Amino acid sequence: MSAPAPSSVLLEPKSIAGSGVGNDPLVLLELIQRLKVRDVMTTELATVPRSAPLCDVQELMRRKKISGVPVEEDGRFFGLVSIDDIIRALGGGYINDPCSKHMTTKLVVLEDDMPISFALRYFNRYHYGRFPVLNRDRRLVGIICQRDINRVLLVELSKELNRLEMASGKSLDQDGVSELYLMREFTVCKYDFENAGKAANEIKRLLQDRQLPPKLIRRIAVAAYELEINLCVHSDGGMLSCQIAKGKAEVVARDAGPGIEDVEWACRDGTSTANEWIRSLGFGAGMGLVNVKRVADEFEVKSKKGSGTTVRAAFTVTGAA
Amino acid sequence: MECGCRSKSDNNFVGVLPCFRKEIFLMTMAEVAEALKAEVLVEGEGYKKDVRHVVASDLMSDVLLLDEEDMLLLTSLAGDQVLRTAQIVGAAGVIVVNGKPLPSSMVYVADTLRMTLATCRLSKYEACIAVNAALHSKK
Repeated sequence: MSAPAPSSVLLEPKSIAGSGVGNDPLVLLELIQRLKVRDVMTTELATVPRSAPLCDVQELMRRKKISGVPVEEDGRFFGLVSIDDIIRALGGGYINDPCSKHMTTKLVVLEDDMPISFALRYFNRYHYGRFPVLNRDRRLVGIICQRDINRVLLVELSKELNRLEMASGKSLDQDGVSELYLMREFTVCKYDFENAGKAANEIKRLLQDRQLPPKLIRRIAVAAYELEINLCVHSDGGMLSCQIAKGKAEVVARDAGPGIEDVEWACRDGTSTANEWIRSLGFGAGMGLVNVKRVADEFEVKSKKGSGTTVRAAFTVTGAA
Repeated sequence: MECGCRSKSDNNFVGVLPCFRKEIFLMTMAEVAEALKAEVLVEGEGYKKDVRHVVASDLMSDVLLLDEEDMLLLTSLAGDQVLRTAQIVGAAGVIVVNGKPLPSSMVYVADTLRMTLATCRLSKYEACIAVNAALHSKK
């Protein structure tokens, strides 16, 4: 689950709908990284208070066709009664006891702002059928099972497919044969250091596959990496894209906030707003934008405090090696 | 052979062994690992490759500023980003110094990126000296 989070348009000349997208799970990987648990979970919950007898829980399960009922009062989550608990209660003859006495309290829970890649990892690790979902205030806000994830992924994949088909049609209409040689877009999440750098690594691999000159590949990869780390460290999350068309390679980092107050200052050697944690990871020396500017043929930063930032680094492509 | 030092603190020490002239000597990643008594965890694509520069740094921002090819990165930073940085700059391999325990993800990332990864007990400074000594003994 810790694979890159690229979203993906891979368009090849003359074979736009061909290889690349179809054989590549990158779209799926991007989706499970982008979608949050809150986008997938069931929020209409059938819950019971601690005083409810287990026989009432059993009846609720039968009526709602569910296999687990959270025990909560005023949003505060106390535990879960599963179908196993009910079977044990029937066997043990205590089906009329209040559920607080027999509910499962040692629970693994998820938070609503976690990516669903995280939820999938938990399903693999713990083999539970469902996980309660809490918000940042530790209030119960939903419940998630694998079926919820499958349903949403199918809907999102269908949307993505439509988008790719439209993009390929548009590109062909413009000039008969697409001028777009390579286009990739990646989602970068705030403080997601587990995945930061994967997009740039992937961009470098793609450029190597296309046998561009090694020095050019390195310059583009360095720019992509610096911009990806910047998105991860300084923005609220954003998109990193790499495009090669008409003899020019462009790496663009876009985010929706928080924006740079003084762009000139931010592009100066050694100036950084990074905290100690970022520095302990080997970054935050204030050299990121300076380095992008150094390696790029064209460099541009557009930013406004509160409205996000777009950094564009362009490179002249001199041809394949 | 020359060594450069950008900072007095060991943390930001950047030692560089610039291009060894081919007719004199070169060392492979495997030979460097042996000289440092390093434990090789992943033999990547660059394991048998000649190392042309040795860069010692914990600041990945600094590493990204270098233009050297086929470098060996000596660092006391134990994290996936070290390997990702190494892949971006086309390093031959990474040796984590100070005998630091590595997160298990590092081996997985190194394997995925086909990057040589090793650990050694020496400090960064001692490791630089050991590489220098190994080069001279080879000469």
